Amino acid sequence: MAQRRIELPQGTLDLLILRTLALEPQHGWAISERMQQISSDVLLVQQGSLYPALHRLERRGWIKAKWGTSENNRRAKYYQLTKTGRKQLELEKDSWHKLTAAIAQILETA
Amino acid sequence: MFSDLFYRLRAFLRREAMESEADAELRFHFERQVEKHLKTGMTREEAVRRARIEFGGHEQLKEEIRDARGVNLVETLFQDIRYGLRILARTPVISCVAVLSLALGIGANTAIFSLIDTVMLRMLPVQKPEELTQVRMRDPRSPNEEPEGTFTNPLWEALRDRQDFYSGIFAWSWAQFDLSQGGAVHDAKGMFTSGDYFSTLGIRPAAGRLLTADDDKRGCPAVAVLSYGFWQEHFGGAPSAVGGTLSLDNHTFGVIGVSAPGFFGLDVGNKFDVAIPVCAAQIFDGPRTRLDRRSWWWLNVAGRTKPGVGAEELKTRLGVVSPQIFAAALPADWEAKDQQGFLRRTFEPSPVATGTSYLRKQFRQPLHVLMGVVGLVLLIACANIASLMLARASARHREIAVRKALGASRARLIRQLLTECVLLSTAGALLGFFFARWGSSLLVRYISTGDNKVFLDLSFDWRVLSFTAGIGVFTGLLFGVLPAFRSTRVSLTSAMKGSQAVDAESRTKFRPGKWIVASQVALSLVLLVASGLFLRSLVKLVTLDVGFDRNNVLIVRANLHNAKVPPEQQPAMFDEIESRLHALPGVVSASRSVMTPVSNYIWNNFLDVDTPNAPTGDAALAFFNFISPRYLETVRTPLLAGRNFNDGDSKTAQRVAVVNETLARRFFPNGDALGKYFRVHPDPGKPALPIQIVGLAKDAKYASLREEAHATAYFPIAQMPEDAEEQVFELRTSARPSALISSVQEAVAGVSKAVPLEFHTLAEQVDDSLVQERLLATLSTFFGGLALVLAMIGLYGALSYLVSQRQPEFGIRMALGAPRGSILRLVMRDVAVVLAGGLAAGTCLAMATVGVLQKMLFGLAPHDTFTFVAATSVLAAVAILAGYLPARRAMRIDPMAALRYE
Repeated sequence: MAQRRIELPQGTLDLLILRTLALEPQHGWAISERMQQISSDVLLVQQGSLYPALHRLERRGWIKAKWGTSENNRRAKYYQLTKTGRKQLELEKDSWHKLTAAIAQILETA
Repeated sequence: MFSDLFYRLRAFLRREAMESEADAELRFHFERQVEKHLKTGMTREEAVRRARIEFGGHEQLKEEIRDARGVNLVETLFQDIRYGLRILARTPVISCVAVLSLALGIGANTAIFSLIDTVMLRMLPVQKPEELTQVRMRDPRSPNEEPEGTFTNPLWEALRDRQDFYSGIFAWSWAQFDLSQGGAVHDAKGMFTSGDYFSTLGIRPAAGRLLTADDDKRGCPAVAVLSYGFWQEHFGGAPSAVGGTLSLDNHTFGVIGVSAPGFFGLDVGNKFDVAIPVCAAQIFDGPRTRLDRRSWWWLNVAGRTKPGVGAEELKTRLGVVSPQIFAAALPADWEAKDQQGFLRRTFEPSPVATGTSYLRKQFRQPLHVLMGVVGLVLLIACANIASLMLARASARHREIAVRKALGASRARLIRQLLTECVLLSTAGALLGFFFARWGSSLLVRYISTGDNKVFLDLSFDWRVLSFTAGIGVFTGLLFGVLPAFRSTRVSLTSAMKGSQAVDAESRTKFRPGKWIVASQVALSLVLLVASGLFLRSLVKLVTLDVGFDRNNVLIVRANLHNAKVPPEQQPAMFDEIESRLHALPGVVSASRSVMTPVSNYIWNNFLDVDTPNAPTGDAALAFFNFISPRYLETVRTPLLAGRNFNDGDSKTAQRVAVVNETLARRFFPNGDALGKYFRVHPDPGKPALPIQIVGLAKDAKYASLREEAHATAYFPIAQMPEDAEEQVFELRTSARPSALISSVQEAVAGVSKAVPLEFHTLAEQVDDSLVQERLLATLSTFFGGLALVLAMIGLYGALSYLVSQRQPEFGIRMALGAPRGSILRLVMRDVAVVLAGGLAAGTCLAMATVGVLQKMLFGLAPHDTFTFVAATSVLAAVAILAGYLPARRAMRIDPMAALRYE
């Protein structure tokens, strides 16, 4: 039986992007590959929807973009976390932990 | 926040580059994904297909990215504007009509508002105008009247020297000066100013120096300050004008300076040409100067409050100093009773930051009425454009459905439609602004009369500009919102099917159109009723029997004082001039007098008669004129009984009078006035000679056409108690009066070359007294007509649209055998319903509002039946005509063509 894939809850895409970029600057395709791999293909992310999110984060000043050369020697747009983005990541990670903990608690005890 | 804005801005400015970057980025991702799939051994085709599914729609993504970047808001606005302009250009006639009617409406509103602004709202262009207060006098005997603002010179001097709460206090008075030295009069507007006038107001000189306290001392030299405008006009702005001289009423004044541009004086509607010190009045008056006269009221007084003195404190302190000041300036020759009243008066401050103005009193109501009128016109214009928009939106039904089907949101479509409306109203406001500039200066010229040139500084200030911008946006939304909301409520299926004609929907679709047209009819009726009332008032005034014949009378005002003729020679010289004028060819009859009918001058006093129950108080007041024997004949006031004056009625003979019917009736109710005697209430210390009534004249208007006839007495000019150094000649001419001006000048020059003359016609003089009435009648008729035309365009447009919508239905009806007449009836029934509703609402609205016009009407009540009936009939007739044209088109539909179209 094929593994069932889960759609991303609203608003969590930003968090995942920030987390992925926390390791090193990446271009869009690599981010999507990385997220797929790490989540062991559980999460279903429409690859295209990554890009509006990237531009939105850039507008907010959490990440910045730079054109560079990719591993296969082509021009690609690399994204990297800014200082405020790093802070934002901590913030969001924190509230995510709180949220999941709270929900888990309700599910366990109720 | 700032970086966000910066990002959006960069995104907008570099949108081409960012667009291609986004494209490259997406393509890179897509190709990488394809490569990945190829590596797993898929065929190229299969790999591309997979990648595409995983990736999602390319164009859709780009739109989402644009949204994320935040450029969409700005970009779509430009898009909307571009698109809106294209749409508007597609129907140039409709767009032009819309812009033009809006421009007329907005222009008229701006013009009237700018007048209200300049006359009533604007601050004076002086230093800190809010600190200025005018000093007025309250008479405890008439507490409800507006306090009097004119002072005598002794009173002004007493106030000036006995106060310590004004940091600067000054007096001023307007005068007319003749710049010529004999011959035709060349008027200049003069202003007497006390020493601290310019310094208190903080006015700077543009050249030379201004008047100071040192210039305003008894026996001062004749010096003058020019206004900037007069300096430019009269001297071409030459620096040599300062230090030169100027002749004012034949007295030479030295020019010491020019005041700063933009300063016109404190009275809105007036501008001064020449300012001279108050003390210079003595130069004109001679030994019995008004500077010492305690009953010559001619000065206005205002001051700048000392810092720290509040409004309440100022009022108290003015009240405290009042008794001693009035005591110091008490007129010694008054009766004891009047002196008591004088001493009880108190000073009161009144704010003067916006200046003073007689225009305010005269035109406040008319301007407000006109503001209401043009407001209604603008509403009607808006209604028109709303129905145009509605019709056009329905015609774009399919376009809107297609855009909606392609995924445009309703909010987006409404925004697009509103943008079009705001474009229209912006164009209308811009054009209207130019109309307003032109219109307001036209209005000012219209309310100026020969004797009284109105000057207003019409430069538009921020208040007018924001008013125009405000109504521009407001109207755009007003006529845009309803159509935008209605037309975006489309059902996709019915629109796509392309059948929108035969369904019952089309009839309901017309409903808002009907409402709009009906309200236009109602508003137009209100305007037509108002203009009808004003027109009828004016006609009544113009055709009134005034008791004299105003046509073909030339009035020549001659001043022998300014000609420096010694007083004892004046009567003989006036006689000589009169007989020469009488002998001029083209003159039917010439006479002279002290007053002319409906001029700005009055002379009245109380009469005493010895009959029982003689009138007292105001009823005993009579209006006087002193006339030469040919006067009544020249102005054609009929002598009803008794005799006219003749040369025997000399200064030494028995005093005689000709009285009018009203005087005879009031003082001698038994009808036996002829031969009776009366006395004029004497000046203190002078004898009151008995005056015998020798003639009875028909009633004639004295000061205004609106008045009830005054009791009037005519006396022989030879028997005047004191000499009038200025007298007026009346010439009844056989041809156009103004054609005689040069021969009159020659004839007078034959007697003396130094006599300044001023020319009017009696007809002009009467016309000038009707400025307010004529203004209201002309403008309300113009706007009433405009409203009528707009409403009819609205009705015609709405019906044409209805007919085109129902064309297939009419075709079917005819194909099924309906006679053509029934189609006509069908359409006309709609017209009748709309018209009846509109007229009924309009009549109610007019009945409720015309009451405010009461005071401005003459000879008829606001609820004048004739006017209401006439206005209703005109409106109904024009509406039926406007409705008949499209109805006839409906009747002539070829059923086959109509059905084939379907």
